[in-house]
Amino acid sequence: MEPLVKIRNVEVRYDNRNGGLVAISGVDLDIRQGEVVGIVGKSGCGKTTLLKVIAGLVRPTRGEVIYNGTHNGGGFRGIGMLFQSPLLLPWRTVLKNILLPIELRGEDVDSYVPRALELMERIGLKGFENSYPWELSGGMQQRVALCRALIHRPSLLLLDEPFSALDAITREDMWMLLQEVISYENYTAVLVTHDIREAVLLSDRVVVMGGRPGRVKAEVTIPFRRPRDLGLQYGREYNDYVAKIRSLLGD
Amino acid sequence: MVSKAKTFSSVLTLLAIGVTWEVAVRLFNIPQFVLPAPSAIVNTIARYSNYLLYNLADTLLASALGLFMAATFSLALSVVLAYSDSVREAIYPILSGFNAVPRAALVPLLALWFGLGMVPRVLTAFLIAFFPILVPTLTAMITIERELWEMLVAFGASKSQVLVKVAIPRATPYFLSSLHMGLTSAVVGSVIAEMVASDRGIGYVILSSTSRLDTPLAFACLLLLALITFTLSKVLSLVERRVARWAYRANI
Repeated sequence: MEPLVKIRNVEVRYDNRNGGLVAISGVDLDIRQGEVVGIVGKSGCGKTTLLKVIAGLVRPTRGEVIYNGTHNGGGFRGIGMLFQSPLLLPWRTVLKNILLPIELRGEDVDSYVPRALELMERIGLKGFENSYPWELSGGMQQRVALCRALIHRPSLLLLDEPFSALDAITREDMWMLLQEVISYENYTAVLVTHDIREAVLLSDRVVVMGGRPGRVKAEVTIPFRRPRDLGLQYGREYNDYVAKIRSLLGD
Repeated sequence: MVSKAKTFSSVLTLLAIGVTWEVAVRLFNIPQFVLPAPSAIVNTIARYSNYLLYNLADTLLASALGLFMAATFSLALSVVLAYSDSVREAIYPILSGFNAVPRAALVPLLALWFGLGMVPRVLTAFLIAFFPILVPTLTAMITIERELWEMLVAFGASKSQVLVKVAIPRATPYFLSSLHMGLTSAVVGSVIAEMVASDRGIGYVILSSTSRLDTPLAFACLLLLALITFTLSKVLSLVERRVARWAYRANI
């Protein structure tokens, strides 16, 4: 089957005062329909840049990104994004924050209210629709951001270190929630993270990136059947994968 | 919100200042034309109440019109300048340059062009109040965090959508709080204009009373003006907290 996203020989060069900085170079990557791809790497290895290229926020200076068979320079439709910070609008209620992507797409907002409420229930936000973001804890705010990323049923979900600002226990809760919604609506997702354990637990395939300039060093397929259990973390096989990826990252 | 205890202690402090002032004036026999006692000021307010209120209303009308013009114009200009980077780059330096012109010095020119009526007073109020409202409003509109902006673009937002759905709501509390600064600036503007080129208004009364050494009347004007500006500022605060409740989340 044709991959959902084909990244071919992509290079991104940022111009700055010291001339140019090559953030990523010669990156090839396929993202297949229904797959969860984890991208791990040390900070500064260009993993966020790669995600921005996929999102159409950054134009590659060389190479191309082919989305669903069509060449596209920027602004794919049908992308849902989740960042490290929830980025909620404080003057909007939770429900209106979740419906923002629908508003921006110029679609009928009211017709999405039932879906928003259903998502909220699934993600553990039932009853908070009229609350304001600042009335919620950090973990709850990130749940709202997750609902917002999913409201328009994106064909591609992009996650940029979405749980790194949360405490360890909340993070595990969020892993399970994310896994559940991904399976339930059969999303294709790209998860950028510096947490190897998170990548192994959630991904079908982990892409290991090396730095300066950023490039793909290795790909590791994680064969565990989804949905996975948090208990997997304490098993031998899981930890072997974590150790393997850690050694691939290098010193 | 200010607690009752705090309000009470403010009132108490104010009373203490008033009493000390009164006692000092009587004790040291300070002549009235140098520093009138609080009791003398209150007496003057009571005696000239009609005359003072008439002139006060005039000053307030000029200030209010000037402030309204400044608020409307600043808001509209902020939206335009936030939307277009090239227009902003062309116009903003000119505006900053204009802000460096002492507006009080323009009053004689305004009087020359528009006579002694309401127009130069309103215009002076407008010219002084305009910049303090524009700067925070525009800054709030153009300083959207990079991540937030990227998120909006990833969700397919257009430039005008970012402006309407994020920049303007985000700037609302800044705009409203800048109205406080705008209000006091507008009052300063109309009073200055009245002192330079007018035959009525509180500014005119202050100028004419001091030239007759009627210092209690000048103080009465100052006191009334301060009181009314303070009250209006409080009213603005109430509006702010209603309209932009989310911006005061720490105090709810």
